[in-house]
Amino acid sequence: MATMLPVADAAQVRRYARTLIRRHPRALTVALGLHALAAAAGLAAPRLLGDLVEGISRGTSRVTVDRIALLIAGFVVVQAVLVRFAHLASARLGERVLAQLREEFVDRVLALPLATVERAGTGDLLTRTSRDVSALSRTVRLAVPETLIAVVTVAFILGALLLVGPLLALPCLIAVPVLWAGTRWYLRRAPAGYLRENAAYSDITDGISETVEGSRTTEALRQQARRRARTDADIGRSYAAERYTLFLRTVFFPVAEIGYVVPVVATLVIGGWFYLKGWVTLGQVTAATLYVQQLVDPVDRLLSWLDELQVGGASMARLLGVAGPAAGAAGSATAAGSPAVSGSPAASGSAAGAGSAALSGSAVGAVEGDRRVVVRDVRYAYRVGRDVLHGVTLEPERGEKLAMVGPSGAGKSTLGRLLAGVHAPRSGSVTVAGRRLDTLPLAELRSHVALVTQEHHVFIGTLRENVAMVRPAATEADVRAALAAVAALDWAEALPDGLDTVVGSGGHPLSPAQAQQLALARLVLADPHTLVLDEATSLIDPRAARELERSLAAVLKGRTVIAIAHRLFSAHDADRVAVVEDGRITELGSHDELVAAGGSYAALWRSWHGTP
Amino acid sequence: MRSLPAGDPGVPDDRSATRYLIWLAGRQKLLFTAGILLGVTWMVAQALMPAAVGRAVDGLSHRDEDALLTWGLVLFGLGVLQAVAGILRHQCAVRNWLAAAYRTVQLTVDTANRLGAALPRRVATGEVVSIGTSDIDQIGHAVDITARGTGAVVAIVTVAAILLDASMPLGLVVVLGVPVLMAVVALLIRPLHRQQHAYRDAEGALTGRAGDIVSGLRVLRGIGGEPVLSARYRAESQALRAHGVRVARVQSMLEAAQVLLPGAFLVLVTWLAARFALDGRISPGQLVAFYGYTAFLVSPLRQLTEAVDKLTRGHVAARRVVRLLRLTPDLVDPARPATLPAGPGELVDVESGVRVPAGRFTALAATAPEDAAAIVDRLGRYTDSDATLHGVPLRDLALATVRERILVADNDAHLFTGPLRAELDPHDSADPAALDAALRAASATDIVEALPDGLDSRVAERGREFSGGQQQRLRLARALVADPETLLLVEPTSAVDAHTEARIAGGLAAARAGRTTLVCTTSPLLLGHADHVIFVEDGKVVAEGGHADLYDGEPRYRATVSRGED
Repeated sequence: MATMLPVADAAQVRRYARTLIRRHPRALTVALGLHALAAAAGLAAPRLLGDLVEGISRGTSRVTVDRIALLIAGFVVVQAVLVRFAHLASARLGERVLAQLREEFVDRVLALPLATVERAGTGDLLTRTSRDVSALSRTVRLAVPETLIAVVTVAFILGALLLVGPLLALPCLIAVPVLWAGTRWYLRRAPAGYLRENAAYSDITDGISETVEGSRTTEALRQQARRRARTDADIGRSYAAERYTLFLRTVFFPVAEIGYVVPVVATLVIGGWFYLKGWVTLGQVTAATLYVQQLVDPVDRLLSWLDELQVGGASMARLLGVAGPAAGAAGSATAAGSPAVSGSPAASGSAAGAGSAALSGSAVGAVEGDRRVVVRDVRYAYRVGRDVLHGVTLEPERGEKLAMVGPSGAGKSTLGRLLAGVHAPRSGSVTVAGRRLDTLPLAELRSHVALVTQEHHVFIGTLRENVAMVRPAATEADVRAALAAVAALDWAEALPDGLDTVVGSGGHPLSPAQAQQLALARLVLADPHTLVLDEATSLIDPRAARELERSLAAVLKGRTVIAIAHRLFSAHDADRVAVVEDGRITELGSHDELVAAGGSYAALWRSWHGTP
Repeated sequence: MRSLPAGDPGVPDDRSATRYLIWLAGRQKLLFTAGILLGVTWMVAQALMPAAVGRAVDGLSHRDEDALLTWGLVLFGLGVLQAVAGILRHQCAVRNWLAAAYRTVQLTVDTANRLGAALPRRVATGEVVSIGTSDIDQIGHAVDITARGTGAVVAIVTVAAILLDASMPLGLVVVLGVPVLMAVVALLIRPLHRQQHAYRDAEGALTGRAGDIVSGLRVLRGIGGEPVLSARYRAESQALRAHGVRVARVQSMLEAAQVLLPGAFLVLVTWLAARFALDGRISPGQLVAFYGYTAFLVSPLRQLTEAVDKLTRGHVAARRVVRLLRLTPDLVDPARPATLPAGPGELVDVESGVRVPAGRFTALAATAPEDAAAIVDRLGRYTDSDATLHGVPLRDLALATVRERILVADNDAHLFTGPLRAELDPHDSADPAALDAALRAASATDIVEALPDGLDSRVAERGREFSGGQQQRLRLARALVADPETLLLVEPTSAVDAHTEARIAGGLAAARAGRTTLVCTTSPLLLGHADHVIFVEDGKVVAEGGHADLYDGEPRYRATVSRGED
């Protein structure tokens, strides 16, 4: 359905990983150094045990035995202390890197052009935000340090083995081709298999949620058999995915296990033969065998974390794929010299003034003469070749209330988004003060025009934060005034903690109508000179909505309001009404004029407002 | 091995959580027993490996080449046995795990279906959903660990026997020392688990925050606030980072303890064994073997601790499942359901006095929307009442009969995920003409046309990719395709624009021609198209007639439905 967001390629992921490492060279060196020392300390025991066996077989004194035991104990203590600090150092580093990763990702999301989000749908983005960030978290917090530790440990054990006797290190090599081939085979298939498994599993989970949430509908429409079929289908898919990964493990695990035991046997038998030949001592054979046995654990950890690393890499690729602010509307704003529309070349100078005013968080500084959004002959298509607007021109007067009505799918909402600078027209122009909206920096754009749609969202946070987010500098009085303007102050104060009540997902629930009031309160506080309301009161009870719109109109006096309305009283109360049909404005005039003209608006009005 | 998934989950033993777990295991008797036997083989093979190494070393110290080769081969054989038994055991474990989890899923879905509309009243939906998100995991783990845990017990006993046989005092040190060691580590682990749990909660909250930003992105684009949200996320992310470091501090102590305690114990055993070896009470090979056993015992003991933990969690999860399975619906069928005459009949709500005539298009305008909702709940038998159909009280009928004859379609109706075509056609009528007609009557054709794959497009979760008005029109279309004998609609046009409302009002009556329909609405557009209008105030019928007559004759009716100048 929706095109997916892009995914970064392997080179980009590698480059990013490198820059991440380079940001903390000292922390990385310290962590690795401590792990290395800890691994080295851990190697003393087998060596000393070898000495013990050697000594006992040759008949040594009690004092020597005690001394060696004490020495082993000392090394254990040193190793424990080193492990503690090494672990803490690498966890600190991991947490730091992880925090950077997720914060940078959220900033990239926040800068994402809306058109990109809409093309991809929020589903994909949500998955990346939740699943991929957690997968990466696991990788950075666990897989990376564990892998590093394993690599360091393996290196040191091999070193110790060579020190015991270079000859005794040779039998180990038998395992290398077995483990290499097995791991390679497994890793090529595993990540895709596990991704499929997880996806199928979350289908089951989602299916249960849906069954539970829709249980009344299931009963009403007698969908029980279908829900059960869907569940069985989900289970079937999950089982197929599980069986595939089980097959992968069934091949790989025994290969790996045998790959671990072969070197131990080889070291023991071949080493023993060397001993019998007199090339090495018994202690050397014992120590070497124990070292090789000790190799099993880090190698196993290394191999088992490898697929986790792969999953983390894939998640990272998807996170990096969410393009930075370099693309789209937000980025083009920073491009030097926003192109002025022909005919008003002088405009850019004054608009720059408006821009700096916008950064201070208020539109008051905007020059009076600039405060008009003008739409000229715009065409727009969501998909190539299918224009939804066919050359629309609209010049709302300053301070005017203009209502847009028309059947759904006629292009009202699209026109609203163009007016608010959310989309750029395919041809024609939408300008303020002669400058194209789509070239304005985001902050400046918001000082001119804001859009509130019927799609409401209450952010997690207090009610106050939810209103004040559009103007961080707003005072308590500002917030209260904004809430009062949309008739929301009464219920807001009646909430358990008043304006400090935590709302949004998981917080105190707000009704859709209250959420819409909240959206309008934000709008009042943001205070741009032009407002686009796309069915912004559709979820509020009709009677209350009308009162709300009137009180809002009083507060917004002097602001230009373009209201897309499905209730015709909004049109009735407006200064002018534009009827949009099939991507064109077919009627434009005051309510009375249009009713008198006897066109489609007049017919609709008659039936809608209740006269039989 | 039986192939999964089982089509029929069977009748669960829901008398208690433990019985439920036993029932689940019992359904997989063969696989479960095989899992235990293989678990034992796997563990014992591992347990015997140090002995083989020890014997080989002993052979070497006597310069016995044959012993070296023999015990080398035994070691290899044990390695292979361990690998094979290990993977077979893993196969059983995964299948047992899945069977338990899948069966629980099926039972949960069946129970939710059985409870139907009563479900939200009987249990918090979050609780049922958490069965899907976490409880099935826990139950799967509990069933799986039982097999593994049994293997661990046998392995521990085997090693203890070997050690005690080799040297009683030394054996006792190991057999008693290792469990004490494990207990100490388990105690140390507890605060870590608490910290980790809190960290996961905080991490979940941060993920929720990011998801919140994504969900609100469109709203943000219209009005701004990105810097504020970015700053807030950053602050919480840094708080989580600090939390993570705190967890790491506890964990690093534990990691150190896990080196120090077993290490110290290992030294003790080695030292004692070395002295014994020096005295000739044990051989040098046995010294090596003791070292190996002490290191090995940690693994089965850890499995035992894990088993205790997982069985506890599994029990908690099973308790939740059992609680759900035991729930019964609000409305029960009468012992001997009455028979209902065929064909459309008058539907009557005794309490309010609403009479819905058969085969006609009736509208109900209520001053308070709650009144209309209550009337519909009674007429559709979602609550118990004296309502009748064809003169037969609904409570004397089987609920299935009521659902078959009467469909209540309200704005809370759920849009399920899946292909749109199937979603719009709940009873698989597979009649393209009917579908097309319903879409036209609901003025929803444009929605389908705008979708890239038309009717074959997938509906996202809760239909969230459709606007409120689009969802409403799709729900209406679905109700029309279902084509019930009696259809009760609640505010079917509350979220659509005036033009669309006009189109729906024009087509709805025609689409339901000859069928019984009741529309609860205050829209003059819809009311104007009704054969008959019922006006309800304070839960009772106060006036009836045509829209025009009521509009002129009933000022309160006019006030309720008028949307014009004040």
